[in-house]
Amino acid sequence: MLKIKCELVEKILVSAIRDSIHKNGFKNAIVGVSGGLDSAVVLALCQKALGARHTFALLLPYRASAPESLEHGKAVCAKYKVPFEVIDISAAVDAYFDRFPADTPLQIGNKCARERMSVLYDFSVRKKALVAGTSNKSELLVGYSTQFGDSAAAFLPIGDLYKTQVFELASHLGIPEAIIAKKPSADLWPGQTDEGEIGIAYKDLDIILHLMIDRRWDEGEIIEHGYALPLIRRIKKMIVNSQFKRTMPPVIKLHPRTVGIDFRYLRDWNK
Amino acid sequence: MAAACQLGPGQRAVVSQLPLCYISSMKVRAIQFSPTLGNSEKNLQSHISHVSRAVRDGCELIVFPELSLSGYHLKDLACDIALKQGGREWRELEKLSKKIDIIVGAPLEEDAGIIYNAALYFAKGKWRHTHRKVQLPNYGMFEERMIFKPGDDFRTFKIGTMTAGILICREILFPMLAYLYFIQKTDLLIGISNSPQRGIGKDGVSSFQLWETMGYVFSQFYHQNYVFVNRVGFEDGIGFGGGSFFARAGQGICRKAKYVEEDMLDAVILPADVRRARLASNYLRDEQPQLVLKELQRILHA
Repeated sequence: MLKIKCELVEKILVSAIRDSIHKNGFKNAIVGVSGGLDSAVVLALCQKALGARHTFALLLPYRASAPESLEHGKAVCAKYKVPFEVIDISAAVDAYFDRFPADTPLQIGNKCARERMSVLYDFSVRKKALVAGTSNKSELLVGYSTQFGDSAAAFLPIGDLYKTQVFELASHLGIPEAIIAKKPSADLWPGQTDEGEIGIAYKDLDIILHLMIDRRWDEGEIIEHGYALPLIRRIKKMIVNSQFKRTMPPVIKLHPRTVGIDFRYLRDWNK
Repeated sequence: MAAACQLGPGQRAVVSQLPLCYISSMKVRAIQFSPTLGNSEKNLQSHISHVSRAVRDGCELIVFPELSLSGYHLKDLACDIALKQGGREWRELEKLSKKIDIIVGAPLEEDAGIIYNAALYFAKGKWRHTHRKVQLPNYGMFEERMIFKPGDDFRTFKIGTMTAGILICREILFPMLAYLYFIQKTDLLIGISNSPQRGIGKDGVSSFQLWETMGYVFSQFYHQNYVFVNRVGFEDGIGFGGGSFFARAGQGICRKAKYVEEDMLDAVILPADVRRARLASNYLRDEQPQLVLKELQRILHA
């Protein structure tokens, strides 16, 4: 159901990345490479679109990150011959929590995501590059991201591909097998997996999302397809509750034309 | 760039027996390019450059995609950059058309504050025809009804000796609209589009198939030579798929431009193909528009 014609998807995404970078007056893209699947795919696409010379990777481990993540990140940079730098964010993150101790691991995870964003955007200036985001459609829809953290980017090349489709594209692009084979994880704390945290396997989540969002099936039709009502409702609730992450903050309207409401122009205005 | 469609020697022999109006042919070039959103001056320069090259290459008609002078997602931009009759851009297009016939797409402000999504035909140094888009999509990513006033007719016009008609994007997907040109005996149907690519699956992008299916229908059942011109490029992540093509009357799609990338497509249009197609299976002769009209009236007034 979610199979894609990878050659065509690659062609479209490569063309879109080139377009986004060049029309905004840049030549370079910068990618935060985590050692996971999504950033590996985005790095590969940027390299194909712009060349290795115009693609730059930042590997931003925290002291609790899995050691293999760094190795996998380096492996994917080596595979695509993309220059990279490793910047350990532990000191910056820990300095904050030493003063204001965290109550939950989620706080540390969010702080790490925002610290990485902060470093990426600083390096985007140093490297004269736009930040290519690595969010996929599954996590965008259920809100499995840190607002102003990993969701912050100039553009999201794989933001309309479900996670299972990112796997398919990764194989097509020749992403190292060790990255494809491991369990997807935001790597915010030891042992964390996406599926464990979201509470459902991507293969099921993606089908339900696809039926619900792209095909506009109602609950009854999805139940007939083999999924339980409580699961469908839980996913729907995740979508509704995370809508704030997918829109700009509301502006309180006072004037005839208001930013975010009826001052209506694309980002690509005159680009 | 794709080469022009060629005729076999047997086909030439048939053409030579025809009345004068059927002997003519026309070399048409479709421009599959990416306009800059909201920069009509830059887009006009692109048009000038393509026109110069087409003239050098011996083309007689050049066709640009829908809203080629402006870009697609106009939102609040439309009123700032709308084409105006007699304005500088208009006069430039008339001047360009002294050496080649030109079809462009533009937001057209005919009356103050009233803007149409229009296709304009310029020839021999003058404006000749305007088609105002009737079917304005207004769902999902589309919001044309917020910008444009819909047109209300489907009139043919002459390109050389040929009778021509224009459909703009979503109009192509309503077979009854092409039918209106069919019963006006068009030799050449031109479809200009800004179709976003969408619906990815294992077989590719489903939106590509929409346009090609209609091209097959217009060619096989309406017996029209059909030129489809779609843009490429991206606007805020929405990509336009290209895949412009030429469908020869009665023979289906015979030339296709690349998907996704900028490209040009040349085709030699022969009105004689229309005659051949009609003789093979004369849908036009057997069509009963009066019956259709009677039944429509009965259905609508029931």
